[in-house]
Amino acid sequence: MAKTIIDAHNVSKTFNPKTIPVHAVQDVHVHIEEGEFVALVGPSGSGKSTLLNMMGGLDEPTEGTVFIDGVEITKLSENKLIDFRLHNIGFVFQSFNLIPVLTAKENVGFVLQLQNMPKTEREKRVLALLEEVGLKDKINSRPGELSGGQQQRVAVARALASKPKIILADEPTANLDSKSAANLLDIMAKLNKEEKITFLFSTHDQRVIRKARRVITLVDGKIESDVEQTPS
Amino acid sequence: MLFQIAWRNIWRNKSRSLVVISSIIIGIWAGIFILSFSWGMYKNNINESVYRQLSHIQIHHPTFGEENNSKFTITNTDEKARQLESDGRIASVSSRVISSGMITSPTTASGVKIYGINPASEITQIRLNEYVREGTYFESGKENEILIGAKLAKKLKVKLKSKVVLTFTNINSEIISGAFRIGGIYRSKNISLDEVNVYVHQKHLRELLELKPSESNEMAILVKNEEQLETIKKFSVGIVPRGKIEDWKELSPELSMIIESFNLYTYIISGIILLALTFGIINTMLMSVLERIRELGMLMAIGLNKRKIFIMIMLETFYLTLIGTPIGLLSGWLTVTTLGKTGINLSMFSEGLASYGFSSIIYPALDQEKYVIIVTMCLVTAILSAIYPAYKALQLNPSEAIRKI
Ligand SMILES: Nc1ncnc2c1ncn2[C@@H]1O[C@H](COP(=O)(O)OP(=O)(O)O)[C@@H](O)[C@H]1O
Ligand SMILES: [Mg+2]
Repeated sequence: MAKTIIDAHNVSKTFNPKTIPVHAVQDVHVHIEEGEFVALVGPSGSGKSTLLNMMGGLDEPTEGTVFIDGVEITKLSENKLIDFRLHNIGFVFQSFNLIPVLTAKENVGFVLQLQNMPKTEREKRVLALLEEVGLKDKINSRPGELSGGQQQRVAVARALASKPKIILADEPTANLDSKSAANLLDIMAKLNKEEKITFLFSTHDQRVIRKARRVITLVDGKIESDVEQTPS
Repeated sequence: MLFQIAWRNIWRNKSRSLVVISSIIIGIWAGIFILSFSWGMYKNNINESVYRQLSHIQIHHPTFGEENNSKFTITNTDEKARQLESDGRIASVSSRVISSGMITSPTTASGVKIYGINPASEITQIRLNEYVREGTYFESGKENEILIGAKLAKKLKVKLKSKVVLTFTNINSEIISGAFRIGGIYRSKNISLDEVNVYVHQKHLRELLELKPSESNEMAILVKNEEQLETIKKFSVGIVPRGKIEDWKELSPELSMIIESFNLYTYIISGIILLALTFGIINTMLMSVLERIRELGMLMAIGLNKRKIFIMIMLETFYLTLIGTPIGLLSGWLTVTTLGKTGINLSMFSEGLASYGFSSIIYPALDQEKYVIIVTMCLVTAILSAIYPAYKALQLNPSEAIRKI
């Protein structure tokens, strides 16, 4: 039996509970196992970002618990949570993923440095990761000198660097043209297959949804469907 | 890595960083300039008072000071002056007979303080001879020669060689008048004193007051090295046992008040500069934090803890300060050393200043210790001002910040 990576139990999130309550996520159960490649889909405002943030420990649920690899992150203190994220979760956002004053190489190396990885080992890993996302010739470019697709690929490499249990990607392709989006998804799928990295990504792009092996659909903060599919 | 990021971050918005750097430079420069200027003015003022007016030490009869009455004298001053002068630590000694009275010209009258001096000994004491603008310094050989200030001459509408009458009481409380001829007109740097101080031959005034030969009201001493002031005061007690011996600080409480008010003024000005610096830094650093909310949120999301975020923002201010401080220090130091040699000519305002006893050329000067204080104060201010923006950054909630992505 595969190992459980994410185990979210009746998770709810209500914004502004005292004024005009917004029930962004309502009583959601999600169970994701190691090696899965899951798309979280739903219209804008359906609660995708809120759910991903709670699973990544960026936001606290109003109700419910979230376990990542057996650790109840909803119980961790703020500082412990930052440290937990550093070692266990990789993030890819829609934009502003990279530190603008650092080169691609330095951006990927940054998290490794925060983990105190020795320099030679770090350099090797950074080069390997950038090669894997197809940016071997851009290692010394700063984010401003890279295209949107290239920046997102650096972000994936960075998310991967710390060998996290899971990579959470919130609409990683939203700002990309379809070719770059397909390219990014192919890289993610390859890493998922070859390196057994678990991916959970939100999107509302049909072409991206097709690449997933499991699709969870959110509507109005509730799970409407959760189906396995053969990627195409 | 944080050091590198912070360093690169400050160059992201060059013009903003330059504003912070230049406000630090200007702050330090202005602090140094104002302090050195007031110090120069204060030094000037003391020297002017000590070397032109007070001398380092004055000796009077214990009750002379209260009434300024000529009958309270020190006896045998010629001999005592000789004894004092024979000491190697003493530069010069002079004795004076002092009375207050009235000076009358054909048109008006005015109250004056009459100094009976020994012209030769004052050449090395208050150097009155250097201030003579018209006529001569007691060269006519006549005993009724008088030296008056230009301001007084104008008031009395008298000229060189004019006749004036001094009226005062002698030691037996009889009213005495004496006719004097103006032999010289002086102009010192202290216009208010020029209007009241008149100088005549000591011997002549002594006779008019009916004092005994060699009796005087005041002995003034200039020392060679001011650090020996206290020991020379003790030494003087041995020679004039019944005299009241005072140094310049005791003689002129106004002087120490001026010094204090200068210090206060210095603190106020420095305070204003530092306050401006504080607001400048808080404002710019806060702007730079607010502009980077999303980036800071992302940094927190990927695992940069709050302590490190705080350090990063503090480092940015610290680097800006580190660039600005040496430049400010150097330009301040250069300004002080250059102006310390050439002096700042305030002759535009000198009429006003001179009446307070200031010379019109100021030579800014500053001890090393003060430089250290200014730099430390600026550094501390800069670092303190960085705390608020850095603290603001800590209050960011990563999910809120990221939602803006
Ligand atoms: N900080 C917040 N305060 C109030 N309402 C919020 C906040 N964040 C999200 N919401 C609301 O919660 C709902 C879900 O938002 P979100 O998770 O961003 O959806 P999605 O990512 O699917 O577009 C929306 O109605 C949104 O307006
Ligand atoms: Mg969203």
